[in-house]
This record gives sequence, C-alpha cells and structure tokens, in this order.
Amino acid sequence: MAEKPEIIDESGDKYKYGFVTNIESETVPKGLNEDIIRLISRKKGEPEWLLEKRLAAYRFWLNMKEPTWAKLSYDKINYQDLFYYAAPKQKAAPQSLNEVDPALLDTYNKLGIPLKEQEVLAGVVAVDAVFDSVSVATTYRAKLAEQGIIFCSISEAVKNHPDLVQKYLGSVVPYTDNFFACLNSAVFTDGSFVYIPKGVKCPMELSTYFRINAKNTGQFERTLIVADEGSYVSYLEGCTAPQRDENQLHAAIVEIVVLKDAEVKYSTVQNWYPGDKDGKGGVYNFVTKRAACRGDNAKVSWTQVETGSAVTWKYPSCILQGDNSCGEFYSVAITNNRQQADTGTKMIHIGKNTRSKIISKGISAGFSNQTYRGLVKVAPKAFNARNYSQCDSLLIGSTCGSHTVPYVENRCRSAVLEHEATTSKISDEQLFYCKQRGIGEEEAVSLIVNGFCKEVMQQLPMEFAIEAAKLINISLTGSIG
Amino acid sequence: MGGLIQDIKLIGADLPKLEALREKGRNSFLNQGLPTAKTEAWKYTRVRELAGDDFVMEETCGKVCDKEHSSCCCQGKCALPFDAYEIHFCNGKLKEDHFHLPEGVQAMPLIDAVTENETTAFLNKSFEMQNFPFAALNTAYLEQGVFLRVARGVCPDKPLAFIHHSHGGVKRFANLRNIVVLETGAQATLIEAYQYSGEVKSEYFNNIVNEIFIGRQAVLRHYKVQSEALKAVHIALNAVKVRENGLYESFCRQKGANLARQETHVVLQESGAEAIVNAVYMMNGWATLDTTTDIEHPAQNTRSNQLVKGVVGGQAKGVFQGKIHIAPNAVQTEGYQLHKALLLSDEAEVDVKPELEIFADDVKCSHGATCGELDAEQLFYLQSRGIGAEEARQMLIEAFVDESFQLIKDDNIRHWMKRF
Repeated sequence: MAEKPEIIDESGDKYKYGFVTNIESETVPKGLNEDIIRLISRKKGEPEWLLEKRLAAYRFWLNMKEPTWAKLSYDKINYQDLFYYAAPKQKAAPQSLNEVDPALLDTYNKLGIPLKEQEVLAGVVAVDAVFDSVSVATTYRAKLAEQGIIFCSISEAVKNHPDLVQKYLGSVVPYTDNFFACLNSAVFTDGSFVYIPKGVKCPMELSTYFRINAKNTGQFERTLIVADEGSYVSYLEGCTAPQRDENQLHAAIVEIVVLKDAEVKYSTVQNWYPGDKDGKGGVYNFVTKRAACRGDNAKVSWTQVETGSAVTWKYPSCILQGDNSCGEFYSVAITNNRQQADTGTKMIHIGKNTRSKIISKGISAGFSNQTYRGLVKVAPKAFNARNYSQCDSLLIGSTCGSHTVPYVENRCRSAVLEHEATTSKISDEQLFYCKQRGIGEEEAVSLIVNGFCKEVMQQLPMEFAIEAAKLINISLTGSIG
Repeated sequence: MGGLIQDIKLIGADLPKLEALREKGRNSFLNQGLPTAKTEAWKYTRVRELAGDDFVMEETCGKVCDKEHSSCCCQGKCALPFDAYEIHFCNGKLKEDHFHLPEGVQAMPLIDAVTENETTAFLNKSFEMQNFPFAALNTAYLEQGVFLRVARGVCPDKPLAFIHHSHGGVKRFANLRNIVVLETGAQATLIEAYQYSGEVKSEYFNNIVNEIFIGRQAVLRHYKVQSEALKAVHIALNAVKVRENGLYESFCRQKGANLARQETHVVLQESGAEAIVNAVYMMNGWATLDTTTDIEHPAQNTRSNQLVKGVVGGQAKGVFQGKIHIAPNAVQTEGYQLHKALLLSDEAEVDVKPELEIFADDVKCSHGATCGELDAEQLFYLQSRGIGAEEARQMLIEAFVDESFQLIKDDNIRHWMKRF
C-alpha cells in the first residue's frame, strides 16, 4: 500500500495528458449544454425521439439540486468541467507492461489474472486482444440469438430494436427520478441492453466484463434488462480488477423490468479506483439501479460487492408490483483509507404476498465511513407482505465510522417486517486464536472478514465469488496494525 | 407562521439577558421555519397545519394561573393514587408558587430562578436551538415553568410530580420550560402527567421543554403519561445531560392528542453514564404519535438501552425515530435499541427509522425493529379455550405492551401508568 500515492501521481498526470490527445480524435468539447447533447446524439446516430428525451431530461436537470442527504462529503463537482463523450484513450495507453506501475501489476498477480488478461486490463491494448473479445462477444451473441435473446449495446438496440427500447427505457427510472439519474438520461453514452423472450432460460451468464474493457465506455452507462414472462437470466456487471482508467464521475442507471413468472439475478463486483490512502483521486460513483417486478411471481435479486470508488452512492431497489413477487438484496461493502460509501436498498411492496430480504454486510477500516441506508415501504394493499432485513457492520480500527439508517414505512396491517442491525469489531480473542495456530495477522483478518460476508458471497456466481473473495483481501491490506 | 409567533407581553422584560435569549429563540425559530417532510428529523410527522392555526397566547397575569381558571380544573381528578410531592400546572401555568417539598429539594417558578441567577448554568444549555425548532419557539416565550433542584446526596422519600392540566375553551398555545437539576449522588423519581378537563375535542397546543441535568452518581427515574384531549397538540423535548456514573431512566406512555411528539435527547457526557429510555404508545382515531430519541455517547464506557412498543389502530400513525451516536474514541460503549409495533387496523400506519451512527470500533451496538399484526395462531389458541374474540385480542395487546411496563420497578407507578 505504501506505493499507492505513486500510482495517483502518475495516473493523475496521465489523466490530463490523455485528454489532451483525445480532444483531437474522439472527444466532444468540455461542458454541458443542449448542443453537446445534440452532438452526442448525432455521433451515435440516434432517432429524434431519443434526442427529445435527452433534451427534456437536460432541461429538467437544470432545475434540480444535487442531493445532500447522504452521509458523504466530497468536493463539489463542476459539471461544466467534464467531458460528456470520450472515446478510447489509445494514445495515452502505456505501450507495454514495463510501463505499467509495478504496484498495479502486483495487485493483478494477487488476483490471479493471467498475463494476457492483465495486458488488456491495464490498458496495454493489443489490437488483436480487443478484437478477440469483440469476436467472443459476437460468437455468444449468435448463440443467444438462436433462442431469441437480444444482448447488445444500448446504441445498437436503439437502432435495431427501437420498439422495445422506446417501450421500456425510462419506465423504471424516469428522468425526473433524481439528480444523477436525470443527468444520465441526458448524456448517457453507452451500456447494454438485454431482452429475454417469453419462457426462455438464458443458457449462460451475461456479462459486461469484456465489453467495458474493450470499448472503454465512459462515465454514463445505461443498462436496460427486460425479462419477458417466464424467462430467467443471470447478469454480471463490473470489472474485477482495478481500472487503470479512472473516471472522476460515474453516474450510471440500471433498469430491470421483470414480467410475470420471470426471474433476474443481477450481480455486481464494483472495484473502481478508490483513490490513494489520503483520499486523493478516485471515482465518484453515483448509481441508480432499480428493478420493477411488473408481473405476478416475478423475482429479482441484487447481489453486490462494493470495494472500490472514493465515493459510492448507490441503492439498488425493487418495486414489487406483481402479486407474490420477490425482491432480494445481498451486499458486501468494504471501505478502507478515506473511502466513503452510502449504500443500501429500497423495497417497495405494492402487490399482495410480496416478499423481500435484505442482507447487508459493511466493513469499514482506516479512516473510511460507511452508511447503510435502506427503505422498506409497504402500501396499504400489500397484504401479507413480508420483509426481513439484516445489516451487520464490522469496524476495523477506531478511526472509521459505520452508520445504519433504515427507514420502515408500513401501511398494511398484515405485513410482517423485521429489521435488525449489529455493529462489532474483530475481537482480540478471534485474532489470538488464529495467531496461536500459526496464521498471520493479515491472513487471520481476511479469514474472519470472509466468514462475516459468507452469506452474501454464496449468492455470487462461482467465478465471481472467488475473485470477490480475493478482492476483499486486497482491499483490506494494510488496515491492521 | 400564523399564530405561533405573536407579540405578547411576558414577565421579565426588564431582564436584558432573558430578553436577549428570547430574541435568539425567536430568530432561530424564524430561520428554521416549521419542519416539513423534507426536514429529516420530522420526516414522518406533519406539523405544517400548525402554521395555519390561530392560536391564542395568553398575556401573562403573573407567575401562577388566575383563579378563574384554576377553579375549573382538578376537582381531585389530578391527584395521583399514591403519595408524591406534587406541583400542579393549569393551562401551562403554575397553579401556586408555594410548594410542599422535603428537605434538600428546592423548587421555584422559573422566572424567579432566572431573576436570582440560579439558572445561568442550565437555561438553554442542554440542546442546540438550531436542531429543535419547537424548543427554539419555546425559548422565545420563556416565562412559565419550574426550576427544581435536588441537593447533593438527597434522596426524597416520595416521588416528585409535575401534574399538568389543560382545559378546553379557547385554542390556547402554551410554552413551558422546566429545569431539573440533580446534584452529585442525589436520587429522585419524577412523574409528569398531562391530562385535560372539559371537552374531549378541546384544541390546544402544549409545547414543553424539560432540561435535565444529572450529576455524578445521581439517578433520575422519569415517568411520563401523556393523555391530552383528542384534538390537542403536544410537543415535548426532554434534553438530558448525564455526568460520570449518573443514570437517567425514563418511561413515557403516550395515548392522547391529535399530534404528539416526545423527543428525548440524552448526552452521556462522562464515563459510566447510563441512559434507559423506554416508551409505549397506543392510539386509535386519527392521531399521529411520534417517539423520537437521540442518544449521544461522546465518552468512553457509557451505556444506553431503549425499548419502544407501539399499538396503532384506527387511521392513526405511529412514528419512531431513534438514533444512537457514538463519537470517535468512545470505546467500550454499549447502545441497544428495540422497537416493536402492532398494527390493529387496515388504515393504520407505522413509520420507523432506527439509526446508528458509530465512529469507534470497540463498541457493542444493535438495533431491531419489527412490525406486524396480532398473531392469528395465538388468537385461535385463546378462542379455542372459550375466550371471546375481542377479549382475546385485548389479552394479546396487553401482553404485548406488558413487557415494557414490567421494566417499571415501582409497583405503584407501574399500576398507575398501565391504568392511566
């Protein structure tokens, strides 16, 4: 961890340098106004209705105020000082692994990512590698298309499946929803679109892993997943390695529509650049994620492992409209150094016999601060609604903070709601027990932390779970002693 | 601000310090305005309507209420069913300024205490006005109330009691400020009762602030019953500071008023300080009853425990907001909080926000919140043994809240509070 400041310095320089070269190629000018939005829309060859939507969002955004209710403190963001459309930073990329910071490579080694992949992740973009991953995607796409599954970027979807996009885009998160969602609605650049037709169980896990690395999409992603009646899909999002490419502001939207009897499982491992140990740099992650269970017996499950970002503001939510629909939220959030995370979920029970479950595990270390903020709301007609929430926090060191702010609003007599939260630390006895058996202190901490998070980690797909467990260890390096 | 800010003549206008404080309170309230749904601390309790109401603020006619009013109340109803040193208030004013109190316990009208500079260390010292709009408003009208001091090591043989009585007629707005000081090693029980006479639908607004200072090793057990008229507004703040090894234990039962809020703000200032804040709220009709607690642990080795139970029927709304704040380095602290609510009707509502704010690692903290209806199986069990449906419901409700009442150690007080 001692080398970390160096990473910042170098990448900080690189950041500036990168944009200078990019302006000549694929970047629209700095700042935000209607012309920039028109330019983005034109560059992407969008239809008129989408441009109108963007402009409407922008005009609405102008009158919105940045929310201040979260327990976060960060420098004011100057929205006119950002690039709203940035293409791959090819010229800025290091030419070989020798130019990449050794500390970063060390991290990759710990993660067990093979050399070839390391090159891709570090931004040493071997041209064929990019093509490789694109072709991989296409192979899968053909295979998926056989079953009628659409999996493509949102820009392609706008061109090829305008009816679907027009019907569902913004239907779960309207642009009026919140400040960051509104900004995203005005300037979103790319993201993915998934449509699973009636009765189809998606044969493989869909992932944005390759796509983001290959295309280096910017700060404003937009994901839309539609699961038609009786379908199933498991979707993985995020990168499991530190992004070299640090965005200052990341304001994404994920919308999920789940129709009758369908199920969507959405897993995220978020590891954006967290800034250095003094809190310099790092990503501001303001994400709006929401799923609507529109039909009866619909099910949605969010699983997230949050280890990165300097500031996280994220509340994956479930609107349980259909009778017997079910929402789940499993979260592990780890903050170290000066990281801040204000995260949680919203479960809105509208239909009868709706169920929701919240398991949130927060680990704070160093000087970090973490807040669980959740809402469970039961409408008057949500008979027999059921919620169980559990929020556990683990504090490592006496300089970090851990907060819990659950909101429970019940307007239905037959609803049964339970919420519990605990706060604890790694006890000296636990550490002593491990050390006595020859396990080093750091190893012991990671053992205990992994045990603490087990309930959530079990929800992750296999390959994700292994990487996430390693990621947790890395995030906590240097937090003891 | 409608009828909440008015120019009325108060006693003590010749005391520049008091006038300055009133002015500060008035400005603080005007700056904050009435809380709205966007005010986090008042998210679930709507008070906006108060702005439109025309309240009557009575010009003062002295330290005690006039004879005309005092004749109408009480008639023996106010008396407690057990022995206590009682101080009576009528419509937010002291009924008389001579108190029968044991040795070592001193009481005087607040305004006298201010004049004699007894309150310098205490008045407005237990809370920050910018966080409590109604306490700021209360400060703007500082005049009525009592200053009570229990001297070092004194343990009165009977409870001390503040008995409040309001009666219908005009739509009165009363502000009341009491200061209670327990010196080192003192131990006392304080009872607070709010009731009304006359019309059940009397409209009035009681805005009460109790500032409580508990010295080293001192113990205060504070029991409150709020049974105001059905259209009344009752907003109360208990702002408490506890010093080394002191204990503040409170139990509040709320059942009346159309809009009521009991806010308890405790600062456990020094090591060994402890707070126990329990409450029960039960209501029907259209009432909103709010129980808000905020326990601060700035010091090491402090403890707090809260149990709040609510039973909500009709179209009523129950609100619980609880916060435990543990400062950096306040290690070896414990903070527990549990809220349980029972919904009896389809239109009832319960909103809960239990908050933990923790900045130290070596702490034990937890909170829990549950919400549900009467257990159908338990009802069936009782009914299958020949107990009528309504009686069975009553039994289960009583059993539900009884867990809280059992925490009151004194039998007399427990019975009185249960039956109130």
